[in-house]
Amino acid sequence: MSLVRRFRLSRRDVLRGAGALVALPALEAMLGSDGTAYADGTPLPLRFGIFFFGNGVIRARWVPAEVGAAWSLSEEMSPLANVKDFLNVASGREIKVPDLRGHHNGAAAILSATPFIPLPPNGAPYSSKFGGPSIDQVAADRIGLTTPIKSLQLAVSKRPEKDQGPTVQFVSHRGPDAPQFPEVNPAALFTRLFGSGAAADPRTRARLGALDAVREDARRLQARLGAADRARLDAHLTAISEVRREIIATAPAAGGACVVPPVPAETNADANGVEPLQSVTRAMADLLALAWACDLTRVMTFQHHGATSSTVFASEGQTTAEHLLTHDMNTQVQVHDAVMATMRNCAYLLERLAATPEGTGNLLDRSCVLITSDVCEGLYHSGTDYPLVVAGRAGGALKSPGVHVRSTTSENTSDVLLSCLQSVGTGLTSVGGGTAASSTPCSGILS
Amino acid sequence: MRARSHLAPVLAALASGLLAGCYGSGELRIVLGDAPATPDDMPPGDTVAFQPPPFTLRRLQAPQYRRAVDALLGPEAAAAASPPEDAAVNGFKAIGNAQLSVSTAMTLAYESSAGAAADAAMAPERRAFLVGCEPSDACLRSFVARFGRRAFRRALSEEEVAAWTTTGLDAAATMGDFWAGAGAVVAGMLQSPNFLYLVEVGAPDPDRLGRWALTGPELASRMSFFLTGGPPPDALLDAAEAGELGSDQGRRRWAWRLVLGDGARGALRGFWEEHLGLDALSTLAKDPAAYPGFSPALAADMREETLAFADDVVWEEDLDARELFRARFTFASPALADLYEVERPAGGFGRVALPPGGMRGGLLGQASFLSLRAHEAQTSPTRRGLFVRERLLCEPVNQPPAQVGITLPPPEEGAVTMRDRLAAHRADPTCAGCHGMMDGIGLGLEGFDGIGRFRTLDQGVEIDPASELDGKPFAGAAELGEVLADDPRVMRCLQRNLFRAAVGHVETQGEAWPMFRIEEAFAASGYRLRSLLVEIAASEAFRSGAPPEVTP
Repeated sequence: MSLVRRFRLSRRDVLRGAGALVALPALEAMLGSDGTAYADGTPLPLRFGIFFFGNGVIRARWVPAEVGAAWSLSEEMSPLANVKDFLNVASGREIKVPDLRGHHNGAAAILSATPFIPLPPNGAPYSSKFGGPSIDQVAADRIGLTTPIKSLQLAVSKRPEKDQGPTVQFVSHRGPDAPQFPEVNPAALFTRLFGSGAAADPRTRARLGALDAVREDARRLQARLGAADRARLDAHLTAISEVRREIIATAPAAGGACVVPPVPAETNADANGVEPLQSVTRAMADLLALAWACDLTRVMTFQHHGATSSTVFASEGQTTAEHLLTHDMNTQVQVHDAVMATMRNCAYLLERLAATPEGTGNLLDRSCVLITSDVCEGLYHSGTDYPLVVAGRAGGALKSPGVHVRSTTSENTSDVLLSCLQSVGTGLTSVGGGTAASSTPCSGILS
Repeated sequence: MRARSHLAPVLAALASGLLAGCYGSGELRIVLGDAPATPDDMPPGDTVAFQPPPFTLRRLQAPQYRRAVDALLGPEAAAAASPPEDAAVNGFKAIGNAQLSVSTAMTLAYESSAGAAADAAMAPERRAFLVGCEPSDACLRSFVARFGRRAFRRALSEEEVAAWTTTGLDAAATMGDFWAGAGAVVAGMLQSPNFLYLVEVGAPDPDRLGRWALTGPELASRMSFFLTGGPPPDALLDAAEAGELGSDQGRRRWAWRLVLGDGARGALRGFWEEHLGLDALSTLAKDPAAYPGFSPALAADMREETLAFADDVVWEEDLDARELFRARFTFASPALADLYEVERPAGGFGRVALPPGGMRGGLLGQASFLSLRAHEAQTSPTRRGLFVRERLLCEPVNQPPAQVGITLPPPEEGAVTMRDRLAAHRADPTCAGCHGMMDGIGLGLEGFDGIGRFRTLDQGVEIDPASELDGKPFAGAAELGEVLADDPRVMRCLQRNLFRAAVGHVETQGEAWPMFRIEEAFAASGYRLRSLLVEIAASEAFRSGAPPEVTP
């Protein structure tokens, strides 16, 4: 039976906001006898994550041949062999949005279950926005309220498409005008998670005092503004509250699988124009597993490479951006290689979670990680038969060993998103908006 | 309030122009001969001709933030500051920062940046000069008022002075150190929305019924960040508070002063970097097998070439801005001179003449454009054409719809050169509409490979660079530059892009009238870019906004 040190803020502490320093004696609790709850009866946390990769897969090499419980890993899923029992696969589904612009349609629909918003061109370069919050933010509003960090956004490749607006640049969005910028540097992520030791620092009170003054300034300013600007400052005020929460709560951690790691050497710097995709993935995954083990956060997005990104898979001997390769019939073999490399990195993350003990199980036992992309196949921007893998047992809510559920009627991808949200205890009965919304979970992957 | 009937067809034409074409060109030019000659000819209260959009908060961009910290606290603090990255919308971070809200991670970055900048500013050898008085409560209060006015770029209210003084005194008491109290004020103010945003609320315009205008200090900030990249100098803020920006003459005088002062060159460099996408050169990768001569150092030279060239046209020689496209000179490092096959400049990096009659000339003959708008191992006529359409002509092109393949036939099927391969592509009516807008432009630049080196062969077959832009024939960058220089859309589009970066929104139909006035003045100046900067900064569009939906 392991000792687990938890970091929690009571709801009162969070709501109190401007109060004095919250002492953080990080509850130390014996686990209950069945290993799924703390001794005081509080259940172990459930977590939600998204592993996102741009530009799709090669469908013929992605979709498993068999359906049901007796399915085998497809070629492109084969790197996930060590965690196969944790996987549920949904195939044959399509996004239910108008076909307006390939990667944009797909990214918004598959991450938010809501059609995207194209901005009017008016002679300016094209841009679009999400139509609603991505589902990680939907989850964070329900299961991210008691941890120091409400949700964490991570990215590996530093070459997302930055010229077409927030839809394809970012994975996580709180709304059309609220993309959540990801951390790309593992060393900086370490500082955010473990580096502060703020509660013991006498300067913390001054930092919080300054933030309080900022909050007062923002409120005074709001009184002079119109509705749109007031809403933007509301978002800023929310962010300030969350920063406060992180400053107050982040503390050195110890106990069970929760240990303070050494500062990672990886900073995600290119070497001769080559991105260290594998090394960054591993450093990020190591830190994420600890962030979950220490209950610093319960929600994350992991953008391996973005939709239409100019990421080059140098590890596969490639010198051309994967997005360009996807659009050339003659280079689909290289696209396949890139998918394989991506899935190897995905496997590292999942295996890391599975190898991190918690109670009588591991982190993946109590997580749901959605693995998906913005298109099915990059070649045609196809919006049917999306890659959708749901990893983790979510505390028993997801089938395990997992199954392959294939839709023969092109059902809504958003059903799978709803199942994910339900599996981690959000209590939601619907997700998304417009034509893409769903209130019918993909029950085949729920136990 | 009466509508001007003769403007109705103008607006209708504008509306249809916005919807035409593959995506439409968003024409803003007013072509009717009976339009009034000057805005003064228009009756007060005329809201049909000019309907500016409402003001919005616009967060400072990272370079503007650094400049502001430098101006407030000095270079050590600016070096310690680390503002978060910004995201562009419709081509400009200025637009993104006027629409997108800050995320938690960004706010954390601002928090630590402010702390680091304040620490640097409060270093024992610097703090006395910054604070300017012997430690006391009264000293802190006077520091709050004085520093706050520069940080917020307006005078603080009594309430604000009192609140920030309390913050500082509390911190001083907690830390047992006056300087820590002053540091907390600095760190806090650098996170205040009054510092982080250009707060543009405005007030009813006394000259125009139903329209609002920026207050003097608000206008001073907008002008200064646009023209110098940094906050308004004290003299400008003083002048604004004294009402000097209330008149066209006063605005024009100050705009010229800023354009001719320090900072304007750097600010315009920032515009070129974003507009031409030069930032991406720092991470540009090429296939070493295809382009063995390419290196990060060469990419850095390409960036500097374009910036030095633009500097020369605008600041050193004050040339007609159309020279940007047709000039027969450029700037080069020894490596770039070798790439261009011209004589190396004396002294390492400098101006070089381009051979008369050659294909290279203007921005489109420069390696920065030719490399950025190409693939890792080959050229991309489509990308080059898209850039010309989207960025130089303000004619966005739609992306292919889903389910459309974008596959080029492989060379072994008989189509050898890029022209052959794209011709097969353009024969498909699904593709031809939009690709017709792009590919032809790029095919005329096939004489330059994916890093901008001149070439005559593609896959061993002679390249035919003869092409046309909307019916105007050209072959190569120099001739394309001549075509562009003679095309009124190009200078108009440059103006529109500068305006977008200056005000943080895509120009609207309601701003057509002042945009037309700016265009006329730009042309009258002989297309001097300095004049354009001044005309934008002094224009009605720059200072005006719609009334807010809820008035204070």
